[in-house]
Amino acid sequence: MMMDKKSLLENGLLEQYLLGELNANQCEQIEQLLLFDNELKIHCDQLEEDFENIGLENAITPPSVIKSQLLDRIKILHTDAPKVIALNTKNNIKIYLGIAASLTALFMVGGFWMYSQLNEVKQQLQTVETYNDELNTTIEALNTELERTNTFYTGIVSPDTEQYILKGNASLPEAKVVSYVNHKSKSVVINTERLPELDADHDYQMWADVKGDMIDMGVISKDKTIMNMAYIDYAESLNITIEPAGGNDHPTVERLVTNVYLR
Amino acid sequence: MQNDNTLIQNLKNKDERALALLYDKYSGAIYSVILKTIRDEGKAQNILQDTFITVWEKAQSYDESKGRFYTWAYRIAKNKTLNVLRKSNPLIQTDDFSVYKNKEDAISIDPEYLELNGAVTTLEQHHKEAIELVYFKGLTHREAHKEMNVPLGTFKSYIRQALKQLRETYAKTLSLMLLILNAL
Repeated sequence: MMMDKKSLLENGLLEQYLLGELNANQCEQIEQLLLFDNELKIHCDQLEEDFENIGLENAITPPSVIKSQLLDRIKILHTDAPKVIALNTKNNIKIYLGIAASLTALFMVGGFWMYSQLNEVKQQLQTVETYNDELNTTIEALNTELERTNTFYTGIVSPDTEQYILKGNASLPEAKVVSYVNHKSKSVVINTERLPELDADHDYQMWADVKGDMIDMGVISKDKTIMNMAYIDYAESLNITIEPAGGNDHPTVERLVTNVYLR
Repeated sequence: MQNDNTLIQNLKNKDERALALLYDKYSGAIYSVILKTIRDEGKAQNILQDTFITVWEKAQSYDESKGRFYTWAYRIAKNKTLNVLRKSNPLIQTDDFSVYKNKEDAISIDPEYLELNGAVTTLEQHHKEAIELVYFKGLTHREAHKEMNVPLGTFKSYIRQALKQLRETYAKTLSLMLLILNAL
C-alpha cells in the first residue's frame, strides 16, 4: 500500500497506527512520513494527545496490591535480569574455573612438594636405619664385650680366684703376664698387656705342666689383652713359649719365655 | 511532578521509582482499556502487571521521538490482552469477532467498569460506539465496522468525526483551564 499524506489523513491510517492496528512495515512508512512532514506530525501528536486524554478520563484505578506485586517482581528482575544472569553465570563459571585452576595448581605444587619431601624423608629414614643398624651392631658388640668383661671381672674378683704373675726370664725380661686361675669354676684368664709383640710368623702359646707333660692351654691372641685360656686339671705350672704362628703340638722348650708354679 | 521525559530516561536506567511514578500516572488508563476488552478483573490485573513488566524490560527499545509513552504502553497492553483472549479460545481466528461476543456472555466484572466517562460521553451515540470498539474493546477498524454493520469507509469517518469533536472539547477545556489559571 502506497502511503502519502492524503491517504494517511483520509483512510484513518494515523488512528490505526496509534491504536497499534498496523503491521511493522506500515508503521515504518508512517514514521518516515511523520519525520519529514511537520504538519502531519503536529496532527498526529494532537491525535495521540486526545487518545491519551480519552484513556486518562476513563481510568479505572487498579487494586493497590497490583503495584506492590509489580514492584516486587521488578526487584527480582532487577537483581537477576536475564542478561545479567548470563553475564553472572559466565563470570561465575570464570570464577569457578579460576578457583578450580588455582586449586589444581596448588594441589600439583603441593603434591610435588610432598613427593620431594617424601623422597627426602625416605632418604633420611634410610640414613637413620643404617645408623640404627650400626648402633645396634655397636651395642651388640659392646654387649658382648661387656659380657666378656663381666665374665673376666667376676672371674677375677671372685674370692676363689688366685693370681699368678708370670715374669719374663732372661730371654724376655720385659715380659709380664698376669693370670687368674679359679679352680672352682675351672677358668683361666690372662692379661697379656705387657707381653712384647711378636712378628707375624710367631705366636705365644700357653702350656700347663701336668706331672711332666706339657698340655696345650691355647695360643695367645695378638689382638687381645685379656683372654680366657683352657683350664687344665692338676696343672702344676703355667708356661708360655714362642711357637710358629698358629701354635704347636708340643712346646719348644728352648723358647720358653716365662713360667709360674701353681700353689 | 517530573515530566515524562525525565521519568523515561530514569526508567531506561532501571530506576524503580521512575517505573512506580509512570505506573501511578498511567496504570488507571491502561487498566481501563484492558478491563473493558477482556471483561475479567483477575485476568485484567495480571495483564496490567505483565504490561508494566514489559515496559520495565523493554524500556530501552522505546523511542520517545516516535510517540508518547502512553501510546507505547497502550499498544503493549492491547497486544497482551488480545493474546490472552486468543489463547483462552484457540479455535477462534484472530479477526473473528465472535471471541468478543462470547466474552460478553460470561463476564466477571462490575458493569460500572464498562461505562465510559469524560469527553467521549458527549459524543453522538454512533461516534461514541465507534471509539469504544477500537479504543476500548481491542477491535481493528475492519472488525469494528462489521460489528456496527456499516461500511468500512463510513466507520472510518465516524472515527474521524468523533476525534475531531473530542479535539474541540479538549481544546475548550484547555482554554477554559488557561482562563481560570489567568484569572487566578
